[in-house]
Amino acid sequence: MSTYSSAVGSVVANKEERRRRSSSIISHVQPETIEEQIDQAALPNLNANWVHNKGAWIIHFVLIAGLKIFYDLLPGVSQELSWTLTNISYVVGSYIMFHYVTGIPFEFNGGAYDNLNMWEQIDDGDQYTPTKKFLLGVPIGLFLVSTHYTHYDLGMFVLNCIACLCVVIPKLPSSHRMRLTVPEVLSSTRES
Amino acid sequence: MSLHDTLIYINSTVESISSQFTRLPGSSIILRYVRSSYQNDPARSVLEFCLFLFAVRYFLASKYSVTKKDFVRLTDGEIDELVDEWTPEPLVPAMDEASQTDVDKIPVIVGATGPKVKLATGKSAMNLASANMLNLVSNEQIKQDAINTVHEYGVGVCGPPGFYGYQRVHINAEKDIAAFLGMPAAIIYAQAFNTISSVIPAFAKRGDIIVADAACNIAVCKGITISRATVRWYEHNNMEDLERVLERVSKEVKGRPLTRRFVVSEGLFENIGDICNLPKILELKDKYKYRLILEESFSVGVIGKTGRGVAEYYGVDATEIDIISGSMANTMVAGGGFCVSSEYAVKHQRINALGYVFSAALPGYLAKTASNAVAIMTTSPELFSQLNANARAFREIISKSQYVYSPSDPDSPLIHLRLKSEILETRKIDDEDHVLQDIVDECLYNGVLITRNKYVQSAENFPILPSLKVQVTTGLNKKETEKAALVVKAAISKVVAKIPKAKH
Repeated sequence: MSTYSSAVGSVVANKEERRRRSSSIISHVQPETIEEQIDQAALPNLNANWVHNKGAWIIHFVLIAGLKIFYDLLPGVSQELSWTLTNISYVVGSYIMFHYVTGIPFEFNGGAYDNLNMWEQIDDGDQYTPTKKFLLGVPIGLFLVSTHYTHYDLGMFVLNCIACLCVVIPKLPSSHRMRLTVPEVLSSTRES
Repeated sequence: MSLHDTLIYINSTVESISSQFTRLPGSSIILRYVRSSYQNDPARSVLEFCLFLFAVRYFLASKYSVTKKDFVRLTDGEIDELVDEWTPEPLVPAMDEASQTDVDKIPVIVGATGPKVKLATGKSAMNLASANMLNLVSNEQIKQDAINTVHEYGVGVCGPPGFYGYQRVHINAEKDIAAFLGMPAAIIYAQAFNTISSVIPAFAKRGDIIVADAACNIAVCKGITISRATVRWYEHNNMEDLERVLERVSKEVKGRPLTRRFVVSEGLFENIGDICNLPKILELKDKYKYRLILEESFSVGVIGKTGRGVAEYYGVDATEIDIISGSMANTMVAGGGFCVSSEYAVKHQRINALGYVFSAALPGYLAKTASNAVAIMTTSPELFSQLNANARAFREIISKSQYVYSPSDPDSPLIHLRLKSEILETRKIDDEDHVLQDIVDECLYNGVLITRNKYVQSAENFPILPSLKVQVTTGLNKKETEKAALVVKAAISKVVAKIPKAKH
């Protein structure tokens, strides 16, 4: 049964999608296997391609305006707080959408994108494409506008600045396919 | 130029720029913005300015691709040259000697198949090489109904079930099979091989976990490969090994997102003939929270007191098995395959199983034949005790042979016979297939048609041991079966005895 035992691989060995130096919290998503590349190329990526549409660009401004109006309507919310909340809501939403959720919600390529978040799926990972420039410009612009309208209150400024950096840094080309690992998770994976 | 002149020049330039700037539309807004944002806080202003500069730099950067371009662009001349150089290989390569012998040895039957067949050579033989175990092939009623169905529905539907291919006969066959096996719902596929290899990928995807028996037949293995799920094999029918694998997997997936997990096994193993240890598998899959996919092509309509397969054989409720798939091309003498499971799982397959969605539906008369076969199995359960008695009678005789042993279950009418390892050693048999083929030829010469187990080793995941394959049938009575067994036993003795013992 020698062939048998050699064919018994480990789930982790097969599934290990990240390469990590010991004790480093930074890791990179492994390059796709040939099977995954074939599956990725089988069909256009419906999950990432819609961001190129005009409507998908305009909706960012619509959503921001909507958020601003919503917070203005809440009683007791000052202009400063309203702008800060708008900025933070937009940032949290776009972080979840572009950088937190991985894979594709629809089933058409056998989970070939399961390890990549949406930002990495856009334009097949190409950098400095028009859509990516737009998507990076929006949070920076929103930050500058919201700090202006918060009248440079230091607390609000710090909040807005951190929020902005949280979505700008993951969009940088140097963050491509990079993952940060929370230390608890690290220790548990090291055990196995 | 003196310093003074330079300063005057700079001053005037700045002045002219600022006057130009104020003329620009919107410049006052920018000035107001800059003035109000400075607010005696240079550090923050610098930070904002840096961010702005960074954004500008990002916008001006030119696009680049992260994927390596791993192809060469050829000129038209180079393409023409390559096309001219190319000589096509033959679509069908010339056969080597071994495959030629294989083809030459295939016996040709004249007329209809059945338990007794007439060969092209003029001889007649008892047929133990067909999956016609209940001899429904010779049933006149089934034949007549098939003809009537052809008159009513034609020979085929030429469309997938979702596209004009789903007819009343298919609906009835699904109902009949589900009722026969005591499961909530059934779905029928157009091809037996494609059934399990569509069912597995319909449920398991990349990232899901499949724990499968290492001796599963090739259709199961192909299904697992197509699904792209992570597969772990356990030693054939070794329940300790299954538990070890499940334990290891559960440790490895701890803390990871939950994925679908399946245990996959065959009911009666096509290449061995033994029966899976269903009660233990059910216990383990419940303990480790897996679902069970059971491939019962050779057990439904074959084993169990009334032919309901492995579940009945062990006295287990079939609904405890999550998904059962099987073939209608074996004892049901029709064609295609079926899958029985819960209503939800069947509905899921109707839009997700590749073999169902993209294949033309089963011809109506085959669906009708399957319905009729199931009806006969239901009304004549004595067929199965006859089949079992025949199988045991055959085994009784063949077990006395000093040259072969059978790894198959005593209750299995699908009997594999392998040369004993000490025979292989003492007689230095290298080409086992050749010896087995000689035995098959010898049997045929004496009026019994059996076959070698045929497979493509290069396509298999694990090595398969060569064997003779005998399928006992109720079409032959006990006396005839015993006679056939004696012929097979004698043929084995004759062929093996001819091979000289190696000198030590």
